[in-house]
Amino acid sequence: MATEQGQGPLGEVAPGQVEEFRYDDAIVRKFVAATLIWGFVGMLVGVILAFQMAIPTLVQSFPSLSFLDFLYDTSFLNFGRLRPLHTNAVIFAFAGNAIFAAIYYSTQRLCKARMFSDTLSMLHFWGWQAIIVAAAITLPLGITQSKEYAELEWPIDLAIALVWVGFFGVNFFGTLLRRRERHLYVALWFYIATIVTVALLHVFNNLWIPVGAYELITTGSVSSPDNLLKSYPLYAGVQDAFMQWWYGHNAVAFFLTTPFLGLMYYFLPKAANRPVFSYRLSIVHFWSLVFIYIWAGPHHLHYTSLPLWASSLGMVFSVMLWMPSWGGMINGLLTLRGAWHKVREDPVLKFFVVGVTFYGMSTFEGPLLSVKLVNSLSHYTDWTIAHVHSGTLGWNGFMTFGMLYWLAPRIFGVEKLHSLKLATLHFWIGTIGILLYVLSMYTAGITQGLMWRAFDTSGQLAFPDFVETVQRLMPFYWIRAVGGVLYLVGVVLGMYNIWMTWRAGPRKPEEPVHRAPALGPVYVDAPAPTSKLDANIELGKKAEVWMKATWHRRLERLPVRLTVWVIISVVAASLFEIIPTFLIRSNVPTIASVQPYTPLELYGRDIYIAEGCYNCHSQMIRPIFAEVKRYGEYSKPGEFVYDRPFQWGSRRIGPDLAREGGRQSHAWHYNHFMDPSITPGSIMPRYRFLAQQRTDFDEIAARVKSMAMLGVPYGDAVNNAPELAREQAQLIASELATQSGGLANIPIPAGEEAEDWRYESIEDLSERRVIALIAYMQRLGVDITKPAPEEETGGDQ
Amino acid sequence: MSEIENNNTDRNESLLLDHEYDGIREYDNPTPGWWHLIFIGSVLWGIVYFVFATWSPYYTAPVEAVAAAQAAEYEALFGTIGDLEPDPETLLTMMADPKWVAVARGSYLTNCRSCHAENAQGLTGPNLTDDRYKNVKVVTDIYDVISLGAGKGAMPAWGTRLSKNEVVLLSAYVASLRGQNLPGAEYDGEQLIDPWPEPGSDAASTEEPDAG
Repeated sequence: MATEQGQGPLGEVAPGQVEEFRYDDAIVRKFVAATLIWGFVGMLVGVILAFQMAIPTLVQSFPSLSFLDFLYDTSFLNFGRLRPLHTNAVIFAFAGNAIFAAIYYSTQRLCKARMFSDTLSMLHFWGWQAIIVAAAITLPLGITQSKEYAELEWPIDLAIALVWVGFFGVNFFGTLLRRRERHLYVALWFYIATIVTVALLHVFNNLWIPVGAYELITTGSVSSPDNLLKSYPLYAGVQDAFMQWWYGHNAVAFFLTTPFLGLMYYFLPKAANRPVFSYRLSIVHFWSLVFIYIWAGPHHLHYTSLPLWASSLGMVFSVMLWMPSWGGMINGLLTLRGAWHKVREDPVLKFFVVGVTFYGMSTFEGPLLSVKLVNSLSHYTDWTIAHVHSGTLGWNGFMTFGMLYWLAPRIFGVEKLHSLKLATLHFWIGTIGILLYVLSMYTAGITQGLMWRAFDTSGQLAFPDFVETVQRLMPFYWIRAVGGVLYLVGVVLGMYNIWMTWRAGPRKPEEPVHRAPALGPVYVDAPAPTSKLDANIELGKKAEVWMKATWHRRLERLPVRLTVWVIISVVAASLFEIIPTFLIRSNVPTIASVQPYTPLELYGRDIYIAEGCYNCHSQMIRPIFAEVKRYGEYSKPGEFVYDRPFQWGSRRIGPDLAREGGRQSHAWHYNHFMDPSITPGSIMPRYRFLAQQRTDFDEIAARVKSMAMLGVPYGDAVNNAPELAREQAQLIASELATQSGGLANIPIPAGEEAEDWRYESIEDLSERRVIALIAYMQRLGVDITKPAPEEETGGDQ
Repeated sequence: MSEIENNNTDRNESLLLDHEYDGIREYDNPTPGWWHLIFIGSVLWGIVYFVFATWSPYYTAPVEAVAAAQAAEYEALFGTIGDLEPDPETLLTMMADPKWVAVARGSYLTNCRSCHAENAQGLTGPNLTDDRYKNVKVVTDIYDVISLGAGKGAMPAWGTRLSKNEVVLLSAYVASLRGQNLPGAEYDGEQLIDPWPEPGSDAASTEEPDAG
């Protein structure tokens, strides 16, 4: 960077006065504590879920274990409700608080400035914890939008937007503007990308009509608290699915990848005490990552009703993403050159090395899984679960623990960590836990995927019985559960170690005073180097100068401009996919016979959503021969135009339900909901409580009106939805009774008292919520076989 | 290891950039060549693949592949005999042919097992292995029950989900199950019916397909 032209002074021409400041480490301590507490809670729920999948077969073999039945009988402990709690807790509470700790600690030091506002820091911290508590209450209660990792209902969505943008964003960018370091270090670029993109993703995936608020405006009252917390998305079917996975994939990108890369760029060179391997690589991989990641979402929807061009686009951009991701891994691992001997002694570096290695493995696996052919095998199986957990347990978890162990002595004002041995033990237990987890899930995923598509010599499905393919996975589910327990034990060791480190320190650790000059008004950049190329092509010379990246060096001291470029990158890439998805009519050819759900079916659908059925059942038959053999005609885009939200699912722990309508009798559904073990070997929870709870028919009116407001052609049904729902419920109840050989012959669920399970009349039975759910089940996928309705003359609006 | 370390350290000192953030410094190492090659390669491949998969007539879309596989299956199974009719002769001949029974069993296990159980001894649906039936009087009634459903939806209608040939095959399979008399679920309203006629007999050929 020597001055070649030598025209006047370079750099800070007139630095400001030297100022004194202290870093706010109290806020970092808070985020650290929250990380550990929520990490424990979220992973504990994960372990419970792992056992829930394995225990049912054990209970079948050993009836004395039937006291465990409460795990399958209690509404708020059911897998479908707990699984979103697990994912939200580990992503937004554990990883979320971890990245806040990392950002609050490193940003202050990289900017040589205290956080912009202590009040905003506190609002951010307590606001985020309040959101987590709200999630922990609402999700087990079945209050959910059913979009994966965006399950939280609309009031919490608003709170997230406020805390993320209003408190965190303002606080962060305020700090950047008040910095005393001219240039932004690469970690800060990643933080910027995180903050702006997560805000964009969150807002555009959570556009809804809140049913209760709409009811309040139109009628002046709200019929129930259920309605108050209920919303329907603006998007339907294919478009809803597209937006959700644009969000879902980029939640991985900008909540679990970019902030952790920022974390890595700060804490790894600090812990290793080595310079970062390549500044140039960090520029290239940052921009390519930010630009390419945002396109890749459709790879979650291969072989679905998403248009083929979008699926292909998702696939090719995922493959292009391989090297930009590996740029981060290379910069992480090669920074350790010259420090490998330290890895032997230092548990912090051990965590970082394995964390970055898992990052490399899962970002190779990601592009692999996004190749359509591989995806046709892996999708809906545990392979995806293995992939996710190698990323989260390995990369996010281990980077977090490495950071926490490095931070603990520094933020608690003590010489060293309570016990290096214990931290090393945590490392080894955790590593073994991850390996047991991912290896068992790879095996389970590939096993089940191959069983689903296997044919016998007569050309029929070799494993026509879905349950058989589930039963085959039980050994792997046990190994996975053990792996999860080991990982959790490691976390407990970490909590103890950091707790003891905290106790060893002073009650209020000192915050030393730092000094640095304020930024002056003028900064002169070093001039761009001249090309030494011995060619006379101007373009070549320009390219060579451009490659030297002095323009980027200039951008690094202009945070607003840098942020704008990040926004342009992610928005432009998004629009390339979003606009055609919404505008090209041929993407979703309409099917005349597909009609809106009846009011009762709509209500039943909301039960399906609340119980989280989508966590185990897909509603998307892919155009793959084995799948069509098993489930029936493949799903068409036009079948989902009234699906708000879409329910395609992402995992088949149970069979696909896209064509479930009319496949079983009402009586079978009733008996199956009461006791899924009528299918021997089933691991589905029981839904007896749905036969005890009653449908609130008055609620339905506002739901139908909200749907009509979104453009669903309900016609007259808008005015008499509750009556229509009652009529249909009575019809289904009477058919159910007939199919069972009379009302009195409806079977009493095993182990229940007969007097609690007698229905007084058809009307009594028709009011049970399970009837609404059965109405929805019987509607699934049947419309395409019906004749198109006759054209009505004259509108009825 | 230490040798490499020394080499790198020596070479790298000249590459150390002059900026520093909270003690963190950066080398100006070039990006590895293989990294560039794979990155550029993946971009070029991406363009070629996208153009091919979106506009090329040589690309087989999944929906086309399924249609082809379905046509091939139909050809393999029924290519020589064509469309089947649910007449008694057909049902009685097919139920005696192990090849057809094996094919139909796959369809049975996929679609019928949840109610009639793996070996057709009955669960929420009736036992199909004895001589007592609820909606069947003559063999062709089996086809009607499967195709149209029965008992106010207790038995779903399969005519809209399975092809006619598949329903005929399934009917023959269900007819073949009779006589095993497996112990199973009791079901209200079942009645003893006459045995199936012998294939080729007068009864088989004259039996009215729509009777019952």
